[in-house]
Amino acid sequence: MNHCLDAMEARLTDLLQTGLDTGGTDAGRAFARLAEECETYGLHTGSALMNRLAGLLDARAHALEKEDGPLLDALFTAERYIALCRERLQETEIQRAWQRDCSQQTEGGTHL
Amino acid sequence: MEIPQTLYSALLSADEDYLIALCNKGTVNRAKKDLSAMQPEITQMEGEAVTLTVGDTVCTITVPLGSSTCTCPSSSMCRHRISAILWLKEQAAQESAPPGEPAAPSGEEPPEKVEDEVAALLSAYPTQGLTRQLGERRVSALVQRESAGEGAAIREGSAVTVELPWLSATVRFICPLEHSSCTCHSRSFCVHKAEALLIWQLRHGVVTADSLLAAVRNDTGSRLDRLEICAAVQTTLTDWMRTGLTRLPASSQETAERLAGLCHTSGLPALERAMRRLHGELKSYFARSAAFRTEGLLRRMSAVWRLAAALRKAPEQEALRLAGTFRDEYQPVGSLQLYLLGLQEVNLAGGYAGTVYYFWETQQHRYYAYRDLRPIFYEGRRQPGPIETILWGLPGTLRQSWNCRLKLTGARVSGEGNLSATTQCQGTLLQKSPPGLVLPPSAVEEDFSSLLARSRPGLGELERLAILRPQSGELQEYDRVEQRFSLRLLDGAGRDVWLVVRYREGMQAVLEVLEQLADQWEQNPDLRPVFFGALYRERDRLCLYPIECFTNWEGTP
Repeated sequence: MNHCLDAMEARLTDLLQTGLDTGGTDAGRAFARLAEECETYGLHTGSALMNRLAGLLDARAHALEKEDGPLLDALFTAERYIALCRERLQETEIQRAWQRDCSQQTEGGTHL
Repeated sequence: MEIPQTLYSALLSADEDYLIALCNKGTVNRAKKDLSAMQPEITQMEGEAVTLTVGDTVCTITVPLGSSTCTCPSSSMCRHRISAILWLKEQAAQESAPPGEPAAPSGEEPPEKVEDEVAALLSAYPTQGLTRQLGERRVSALVQRESAGEGAAIREGSAVTVELPWLSATVRFICPLEHSSCTCHSRSFCVHKAEALLIWQLRHGVVTADSLLAAVRNDTGSRLDRLEICAAVQTTLTDWMRTGLTRLPASSQETAERLAGLCHTSGLPALERAMRRLHGELKSYFARSAAFRTEGLLRRMSAVWRLAAALRKAPEQEALRLAGTFRDEYQPVGSLQLYLLGLQEVNLAGGYAGTVYYFWETQQHRYYAYRDLRPIFYEGRRQPGPIETILWGLPGTLRQSWNCRLKLTGARVSGEGNLSATTQCQGTLLQKSPPGLVLPPSAVEEDFSSLLARSRPGLGELERLAILRPQSGELQEYDRVEQRFSLRLLDGAGRDVWLVVRYREGMQAVLEVLEQLADQWEQNPDLRPVFFGALYRERDRLCLYPIECFTNWEGTP
């Protein structure tokens, strides 16, 4: 799942680097692929967000008057979604480590 | 094929200055060179637009010329479009020349009509908008520069060129104004354009220096409406996202700072703080700092966008809550029963250093802090270390009140829980008490499972404070590579919290105390020390940054 979140974040930062005018079309295709990847990891909201981004970027490429408000809304919602997923994942990892540590009490240090 | 009439007129009136204003001199020269080696071909004429092939690209030239498009990936006016315009201009000149005579050299004398049009546009531009964008400081400096005769160089023609040597920028205004260009490459109405336009208005008597200064000082309208500010913030972010970070002009830093200032004057402290963080991230990018991460910038932009969007949609009451409170806005809270639990010396990256005092409020069961921070650098000279002051009429310094009860009357507190040093607040120093007798057992965490929610990123420091009483501990070997001391604290169920301290200047004493404590604990396993600190997460670990350690919680401190 971390890999998928990393890929989503990398694509968003790439888009920030290149800008919508230059990298929008390529990014649209990449987001569509990421939507499928999200589904395989069970990230349904992530998949919906990626599909929305792909759709908006595709529509933007064919629009003469660019109305980017909804696109930026979706883009920054995706960023927030990734941050929340990471936070949740970190909590799960800490809890998993706690469960693991209950069975093996030491991490190799001097017991006090 | 006959060129449409409006395009024909636009082409004839577009001289070299106009084309340079659309892009830059280099692109125009390159387009001329390209044109000498190829022959564009008109493929279509539809309405007022002419489509023609220029090399491998297809350009559509329309009116105004700045709205022309090209199939190349360039997001600004490219050499193909300029080549196409130059070629069409040549065709138009030939059409206008009497039969048998060569076409008149185009673009030497700008038609007066175009010159008048630009002048009319510049005169009609609202001065108030410019002064608001620039702010009082910039407008005053501009007026002073003009009166001293050190102002900008202005050249007028089909394009009005304003050179601003003190900003290292040249602005070229053309008709329509939105196609004007600036050497900072910003496509929006940047501060350079605003300053250049105001200088032009001053020189042409549209506004006088006195009226300008008077207006800027009495401008009650400078407190822009919340919706206007949020819209401006979102427009700026949209512009940046369209352009992309790689092409973002360095003046974006100024834009971010200016917007933060506007948020401040309009009473939007939360948005101001978010904009200042974004400004810091942009500064780090343009300074090519190794610490800069694009993910960080995206996070900051996202925070600003979401807050601005929420502020725009929220009803008045909700908007007030979202707007937040200024850090220096202290609200009266009446009397507080405090206990000074701990203090720590801090040296912040922003150039401030001092001591932070952490208090436990015995009635409300929550933490408060007093931050005695001072700038350590001032005008390039290092300042002597912070001097401790005596606050609230207490008989001694706060450091001397450690583990003492205090009663404050007329206390003032900021939204984040920081106490004010106001003289209106009076303090009474009460007796020294062991923390275990002041703090209720519920404030001391012996089960670490409840700490996870309090370590969430984004929470304020006071919300992440915790007092831990571990069942046992494991001292880890000192990490010589990362130079860090680690102590694994375990609760009764084996859940761990990592106490980590990285070695750096000034931390020697803290590390020595912790090492002594670990020795003491090893010799006496029933010691049950208590740790007070701030929680945070690092990878799959829950960590505590220690502020105080108590070996005798219930006993005399």
